[in-house]
Amino acid sequence: MPAERRLGMDHDHYDWSPFTKRGVLRWPEGSRVALCVIVNLERLEWEPPDGSFQVAALSGGVWPRPFPDYMRLSHRDYGHRVGIFRVLNVLDKYGIKPTIAMDAVTAEHYPYLVDYCLNHGCEIIAHGISVSQMITSEMSEQKEREYIRNSVETLKRATGVAPVGWLGPEYGESTRTPQLLSQEGIQYVCDWTNDEQPFPLKSPHGELFALPVMLELDDVNALWDRHMAIGKYKEILKECFDIMYRDSAESGRLLTLNLHPWLIGQPFRIRYLDDALGHMMRRQSVWAACGSEIIDWYRSNPPVA
Amino acid sequence: MALPPYRVDYSPIIDRPVIKWPNDARVAVWVAPNVEHYEYLPDLDGQTNPWPRTPHPDTQQYSYRDYGNRIGFWRMLEALDNNNIRCCVSLNLAVLEHFPEVAEAMVERDWDFMSHGIYNTEYINTWSEDREREWYQDCIETLRRHTGKKLKGMFGPSGFSSVNSPDLMAEAGLIYHSDWMHDDQPVPIKVKTGKMVSVPYSIEVNDGLLFRHHFEGDYFVEICKAQFDQLYEEGAESGRVMCIAIHPYLLGQPHRVKYLDEALSYIMSHDGVWQTTADEIAEYYIANNYDQAVAHADRFNK
Repeated sequence: MPAERRLGMDHDHYDWSPFTKRGVLRWPEGSRVALCVIVNLERLEWEPPDGSFQVAALSGGVWPRPFPDYMRLSHRDYGHRVGIFRVLNVLDKYGIKPTIAMDAVTAEHYPYLVDYCLNHGCEIIAHGISVSQMITSEMSEQKEREYIRNSVETLKRATGVAPVGWLGPEYGESTRTPQLLSQEGIQYVCDWTNDEQPFPLKSPHGELFALPVMLELDDVNALWDRHMAIGKYKEILKECFDIMYRDSAESGRLLTLNLHPWLIGQPFRIRYLDDALGHMMRRQSVWAACGSEIIDWYRSNPPVA
Repeated sequence: MALPPYRVDYSPIIDRPVIKWPNDARVAVWVAPNVEHYEYLPDLDGQTNPWPRTPHPDTQQYSYRDYGNRIGFWRMLEALDNNNIRCCVSLNLAVLEHFPEVAEAMVERDWDFMSHGIYNTEYINTWSEDREREWYQDCIETLRRHTGKKLKGMFGPSGFSSVNSPDLMAEAGLIYHSDWMHDDQPVPIKVKTGKMVSVPYSIEVNDGLLFRHHFEGDYFVEICKAQFDQLYEEGAESGRVMCIAIHPYLLGQPHRVKYLDEALSYIMSHDGVWQTTADEIAEYYIANNYDQAVAHADRFNK
């Protein structure tokens, strides 16, 4: 369906809001930049159910291969076995409370990791069923509703807490996903990569916010899809932060970093992440918080004109 | 709690029995040159085409690989010999028949030989169980005939294995499978008979993937050093494995070979390095760590 030529967005999820027309956003205690680090614990399935959608060039392994793809499966499994602990150690070193995006397969089959994340003070948000089953507009409404409910319920069973945040596998959404998420109790969504502040999404079912991710800093996007050298990645993390810090003098900014332990948690990569986060956390007035803390604050302290 | 393909128990690296390598080494380093032959006119199975660029033959790509055996291999040897590296070659076994000088150079250096299939243009993922079973006998026999050595492990040809491969390998007497990129230590692999472990290969510390993109030799050195430094630090508590996967047609290019030398000499300048082969890592692990690892992993997988 072509866009209707009118003022604002060509959909109804949120209002057009250029940065220059917004009120001033203040973070707690005069902080300038809010830093949110999302860590993905997502599982590739050996044989996904029929009808599942997986992006054609899904990262990991070598290149798309016929079944059985031992290399991609096991490359990604590295994150659960090894990489996650390196990543969480680095976040812990700088006092950054992680936001773990955990899929249902992980929540159900890796109780050790669920406990580990809870014991380390992580917020756990829903992340679909598995990276082999992403939401697309080809899902029926009923199927999508069941999918979301299954993800949320599985996480609730595993952690004892209902998740309030959501990141779709591969950022996948249909046109109705935000509304369906809202109906299942989700309060914030990380699928949108279009801003440096949280913003409200329109939902008839309750308050819903976007917690936008910086897509170019997503390790899969940078290191895998765009084959960036790890040293360059470290540099852009620092430069991105420095400019956001500069630009936050008048109104707070949000830097959401989305990471995958099977990739950034590899031995040769982890020190570069350590270095970049160290650079950020040495600055005064950085608020490292998990997704729900940021959204709770934003809800109670919306931008003031 | 286990997930398909039901081959590997979950075991977080921070909560495992300690691995002590020989002489208290921190890192077991194995160097895996992929000595390969890609067929000029391979049979196609309808799924995977090694030369998708053109109708076959693809002279440019075929000869690019062949450069490895004619030129690159010999130059690569200089960097390996300079650093006294005993390799574990990931070998297309037909190389032993086609190119006896290459075979002789490897035998002379007492390298270990990991099967990488017969040719790199055969894709065993579609094969019947019987065909694959017979093929292991061919692999074993070909290696024995040309080197006198017993075949102990495989990295699937072109990185392909079938659903049955671990069982069939174990049945044929092999003890390790390197298609798993899931860990920095060996890991028990469940099979119907015998004992099988993964000795993780690397597709990241690997010239074959790096040099498809804009990376060059200097970056290879940078990540080899960073990989080693991290594993060396962690290896103080419990032994780690580092695999360096290389290809003669890539790192044996004139403009790259010095970087291989630089990476290897950096690593070999450290104490506490067990420069070894996947064969030896697998044997050592099965003798010293396997049973304990299986018993320990039980607690996470009930």
